[in-house]
Amino acid sequence: MSLYGSAVKRPIMTTLCFVAVVILGLFSLKTLPIDLYPDIDTNTLMVMTTYQGASAQDIEQNVTRPLENVLNSVNDLKHITSKSRENISVITLEFEYGKDIDVLTNDVRDKLDLVSSSLPDDAETPIIFKFSTDMIPIILLSVQADESMPGLYKILDEAVANPLARVNGVGSVSISGAPKREIHIYVDPVRLEAYNLTIEQIASIVASENRNIPGGAFDIGSDTYSLRVQGEFASSDEMRDIVVGSYDGRNVFLRDVARIDDSLEERAQQTFNNGVKGAMIVIQKQSGANSVEISDKVLKMLPSLQKRLPSDVKLGIIVDTSDNIRNTIASLVETVLYALLFVVIVVFFFLGRWRATLIITITIPISLIASFIYLAITGNSLNIVSLSALSISIGMVVDDAIVVLENVTTHIERGSDPKQAAVHGTNEVAVSVIASTLTLIAVFFPLTLVTGMTGVLFRQLGWMVTIMMIISTVCALSLTPMLCSLLLRRATHHGKVYNALFGPVNRGLDAFDNGYGRLLTWVVGHKLITIIICIATFVGSLFLMKHVGTEFFPTADDGRLSVNLELPIGTRVEIAQEVTERLVRQWQEEYPEIKVINFTVGTASSDNTFASLSDNGPHIVSMNVKLSDPGLRDRGIVEIAGLMREDLKHYPQYKKAQVRVGGNMGAMGGQASVDFEIYGYNFSETDSVAQRLKRALEAIPGTADVNISRSDYQPEYQVDFDREKLAIYGLNLQTAATYLRNRINGSTASRFREDGEEYDIKVLYDPEHRTSLDDIENILIYNSAGKGVRVRDVGKVVERFTPPTIERKDRERIITVNTVVQDVPMSEVVAAAQEAIDKMDIPQGVSIQLAGNYEDQQDSFRDLLMLAVLIIILVYIVMAAQFESYTYPAIIMTSLLFAFSGVFIILYLSGHSLNVMSMIGAIMLIGIVVKNGIVLIDYISLNRERGLSIRRSVIDGGKSRLRPVVMTTLTTILGMVPMAVGTGQGAEMWRPMGTAVIGGLTFSTILTLLFVPVLYCVFAHNGIRNARRKFHKSLRSKK
Amino acid sequence: MKAILITFDQAHYDHIIEILDRNNCRGFTSWAQVSGRGSNDGEPHYGSHAWPSLASAIITMVDDHRVDTVLGRLKALDDERPKLGLRAFVWDVEKSI
Repeated sequence: MSLYGSAVKRPIMTTLCFVAVVILGLFSLKTLPIDLYPDIDTNTLMVMTTYQGASAQDIEQNVTRPLENVLNSVNDLKHITSKSRENISVITLEFEYGKDIDVLTNDVRDKLDLVSSSLPDDAETPIIFKFSTDMIPIILLSVQADESMPGLYKILDEAVANPLARVNGVGSVSISGAPKREIHIYVDPVRLEAYNLTIEQIASIVASENRNIPGGAFDIGSDTYSLRVQGEFASSDEMRDIVVGSYDGRNVFLRDVARIDDSLEERAQQTFNNGVKGAMIVIQKQSGANSVEISDKVLKMLPSLQKRLPSDVKLGIIVDTSDNIRNTIASLVETVLYALLFVVIVVFFFLGRWRATLIITITIPISLIASFIYLAITGNSLNIVSLSALSISIGMVVDDAIVVLENVTTHIERGSDPKQAAVHGTNEVAVSVIASTLTLIAVFFPLTLVTGMTGVLFRQLGWMVTIMMIISTVCALSLTPMLCSLLLRRATHHGKVYNALFGPVNRGLDAFDNGYGRLLTWVVGHKLITIIICIATFVGSLFLMKHVGTEFFPTADDGRLSVNLELPIGTRVEIAQEVTERLVRQWQEEYPEIKVINFTVGTASSDNTFASLSDNGPHIVSMNVKLSDPGLRDRGIVEIAGLMREDLKHYPQYKKAQVRVGGNMGAMGGQASVDFEIYGYNFSETDSVAQRLKRALEAIPGTADVNISRSDYQPEYQVDFDREKLAIYGLNLQTAATYLRNRINGSTASRFREDGEEYDIKVLYDPEHRTSLDDIENILIYNSAGKGVRVRDVGKVVERFTPPTIERKDRERIITVNTVVQDVPMSEVVAAAQEAIDKMDIPQGVSIQLAGNYEDQQDSFRDLLMLAVLIIILVYIVMAAQFESYTYPAIIMTSLLFAFSGVFIILYLSGHSLNVMSMIGAIMLIGIVVKNGIVLIDYISLNRERGLSIRRSVIDGGKSRLRPVVMTTLTTILGMVPMAVGTGQGAEMWRPMGTAVIGGLTFSTILTLLFVPVLYCVFAHNGIRNARRKFHKSLRSKK
Repeated sequence: MKAILITFDQAHYDHIIEILDRNNCRGFTSWAQVSGRGSNDGEPHYGSHAWPSLASAIITMVDDHRVDTVLGRLKALDDERPKLGLRAFVWDVEKSI
């Protein structure tokens, strides 16, 4: 028994089967997390090796190069980049997307084992570090405080950071901008010298005084007591009275040689929120956790946390990444619902019967909901890609049901009972329904095979659409006939309302049919002209291709900007802060769209994981700007970023300034940028090429934020010790250097304990005694005999420039010149830059290559083109098998040309550029467009088999298939309209896709309806002529 | 005893069985899918791409006095749904076991 036979016979079983699917689907939907993109596995590994005391060049030669040479042979490696800085080498391995990172990590570890013996002895064992998008903070909280400022770190640590860190899924919570308490023992070097004391002695005395020592247990009578010495300082003042030595028989107290300063750490990162000094709390998630869920939990906790804080401390939100996710998904859900509504309206308009409309539209929720089961089983989320898949499919899942319903209706009209009609009517079209689904699967299934980043993104789209198509076909072959048998009636009497409403509609549709019939008759009579016009349109549209620029991904407006500013190296933190405060005030006045503006400046302390991973220093300012929702402002984010860049030009204090759209999200959603990689060994040559290239790029319209990756030579003071003199005084270099460090940086003597918290006690020179070179030269170094000698007697203090970080890529030295592309398509900038580079005089051994987004774009476009070719071949195979002919599929395929013309024309008219999203749209068109051709050719050849002449078959076939073609096309187009015109958050991402499909489909349908019949006529005539010729030949040869 | 061969569009099947039942014609032999076309008009029933519909055939042996009633009922059914197609042919049964 066939599927539809048993479905019609057993309506209860059929209904309940689908009810079960729907219930399972809805249940899955409840468990689905929300996210922006499908899970993108990390594809980068970092290998960090420290080698204390080595300069950048030593590191490059002795650590980085040997490691690179070995790591280069790991499988699936795309690029290997490295940074060799003083003391540390960081190698970044970038792998192809979609590979199992755990396997790769093991490979890398094996390779490191091989090479570790040939590394310098003092170099530490290399550490492997996985970097993923999970490292990007999900929430930034601002903290404003007045009186509580000095103790802010402790307050926040106890009342905010610790509770938040306990939330399930939160990875780490770091506080920046709130300096920690530290106890300084500021020593006066002059007095120290007078009493014959050293910082080291003081540090060790403080350490040995600040002790709690258990003395064991002893028995008194029948009881056992434990004995303890509680020597730890109860307050920092106690330290003043420590005896640190004796002079002339009198005790020397600590207060005699130093002052105790119980305050905050000296060099800390400072944070300003909306121009007010405060702190920032950075929340990162655990890898694999869901940001929306965590952010929900965190936001729910905030009010209760706020209650526990002193009244002057106010918490606020700077960035909540989940906000964007939620809004984007909400606007996409809206899009899906609109698409659903439009499709229902179209179906009702064409069929004019509510029962038929119900039968057809019921397949939409069933197929859509069933796909949630797939998402839940595979552990995916509701994201941009899976929801776009829903939106795309809505128009297509009804097609099969429409074909089945139409045929069943014909049977009923001929006199069959609904039950019989449902079985036989479905039986007749089952094969062609399956074949047309196969053509669509031939388009979407290969999407699951794409590699690279595009593959990661569109694998889910491929699976979702494939599954929905299969479900909709199963639905059309079981549920639809079942419902037809129950709901459709033989004799339909139309009421007055129906006639009033649908009378004009039907007359209009009839007139449309007839008009098309007349046009088709004319066209078939003027084949040559039609073919010429069509080909001319196609060729003409190819010229538009030149004017349509290309880019990688559209820029999404998520209302987030991040600004990185750099003053010249060595600038004091106060200056950086002052300039930036001025900038912030100006921006707050100029851009009312700014909701929160926050910046951080200064050196990050090493226990702030987030801050110490990103660039920091007294001269580096990093800023977060949150704008109001895109719907609420007139200026787009790109426009605002452009204006900010203009403003920054009036601040010559900043050596480097970067305004990034969309935070630091990278390729997707951010503003496109192009990297020019300059390869070459010689520093000065590559530097000069980079400078020239920077100037050339700045002259090209559409570039902004042109930056050179190599930083400047850093000025610093170095003490050159004379080893011979050191030896004379019985010293070695290490002792001498440690003396310097203890006096300037300080030596951590011990820890002060209070209320369960520990604070460092640092002994160092009083700040006023470390402000000049003289102070350094006057430092006394004692040898083991206790004899002191000044630094100036054993060495020289000289000013030097240390070479910058040495960057390498694919085992060659490199400088990257990066430019953001603004207002123009990326391809234009690349073309202009290429021209400029060709004109440049580049020294031997230096080469320039394009990378960054441009490289990604090229890779993706290449992948997608390959995919398009594969899909076209597959679709051809499916069609050729269905028609048992090589020519008919070829005729149908010509409609693809017009689809691509349509894409170019609409991109040109709407001013969009060709990017990955519009390419995907164009690829989807292959399946959708071909379907129209199949319906048309199928019916024409059916007419011919029924014995009609070619001309008659074409005209009659065209006329009778016009409505189904227009109907399915309209459902698809209207299903896409909400995507193409959407204005919600994130709409920029899918707008190009919707636009491309609408343009291509409209254009190709119109031309297909005229061009395909004409081509069919031509080929059919030729076929008949050839057959006749053969026949005559065989007759003649028989004679 | 007369033999009636009824050839008809598949969709008629249930109705024809019902007619036979009502007339106490218990025995019959049926072919679920047969192809063919009418002598004068109507769509051919080939089960092909061009003519996808199919016919069925039933042969039944009935008592002489029932033949006219059965044929009358079949004629009524055919008139009700002329587009589907239904034909019946009657001849004598000479012997049976």
